[in-house]
Amino acid sequence: MNDSDRDIVDILAGLTLFGDLNRPQLEAVAHTFDEEWFSEGQRILRQGFTGTGFFVILEGEAAVRIDGVDRATLGKGDFFGEISILLGEPPVADIVALRPLRCLVLGGPDTEPFLNSYPRVMYRMLQAQARRLRNASQWRS
Amino acid sequence: MALSRQEKARLLGGVDLFLALGPRALATIARRATEVEFPAGRYIARQGEVGSGVFVIARGSARVVRGDEELTVFGPGDFFGELSVIDRAPRVASVVAAEPTLCLAIAAWDFLALLDENPKLMKAVLLEVVARLRATIEHIRH
Repeated sequence: MNDSDRDIVDILAGLTLFGDLNRPQLEAVAHTFDEEWFSEGQRILRQGFTGTGFFVILEGEAAVRIDGVDRATLGKGDFFGEISILLGEPPVADIVALRPLRCLVLGGPDTEPFLNSYPRVMYRMLQAQARRLRNASQWRS
Repeated sequence: MALSRQEKARLLGGVDLFLALGPRALATIARRATEVEFPAGRYIARQGEVGSGVFVIARGSARVVRGDEELTVFGPGDFFGELSVIDRAPRVASVVAAEPTLCLAIAAWDFLALLDENPKLMKAVLLEVVARLRATIEHIRH
């Protein structure tokens, strides 16, 4: 394992999504995902266009932009892209980097098998989605 | 009249969320589910309270209400209460029996244990929540 992988494992160990995994599992996760950087203003997911993957934010901030309106801000430990992968439908929001953004990325077809291999990650994701649903129910157009 | 365990399992097997489960998992849920009768007008779940369990309607119907607004009506086979059990936050709506209504109730800790034991159920719940999230966002847009 190189320094960069070790650095990623240290970050992953602090994220709620991976909170139930032990060190060897975190190492496996770090190995499964690719690392990607996005510059400020870059659009990572595009509303209405086919999604490309499941993203977990390691550093930076991104906006959830729906029809041009910023509805939420995502930061370290937050994730996106999974809704369109799980449902097989285009994203309902743009995701735009507000600052330089460092992410871990998993390709669309690899995401479901990954969740099946780590049910505790799926559970943490479910908790986060329940919270998001609750928040979204309170938005007004 | 009390439902037999087979009747409970058959009822639970017809719930969308449980379609992916095999007979053994359904039998486990049936064993853990308790029947609860609600007279017309009685609250089955109350907005603002933290969820103590999830419910499946066996007979009758119930109105889903948020504030003064009626959101929908649930009937036999409909399932609710899972959101609050999963994120341990207050319920977002109330559910009120519209007529004498029989529910199968699964206690929060039993439901969480079922999720742990059945990754397929976990996946089904995740898909359901994600689909509702997407629908909610779509609704806001229109």
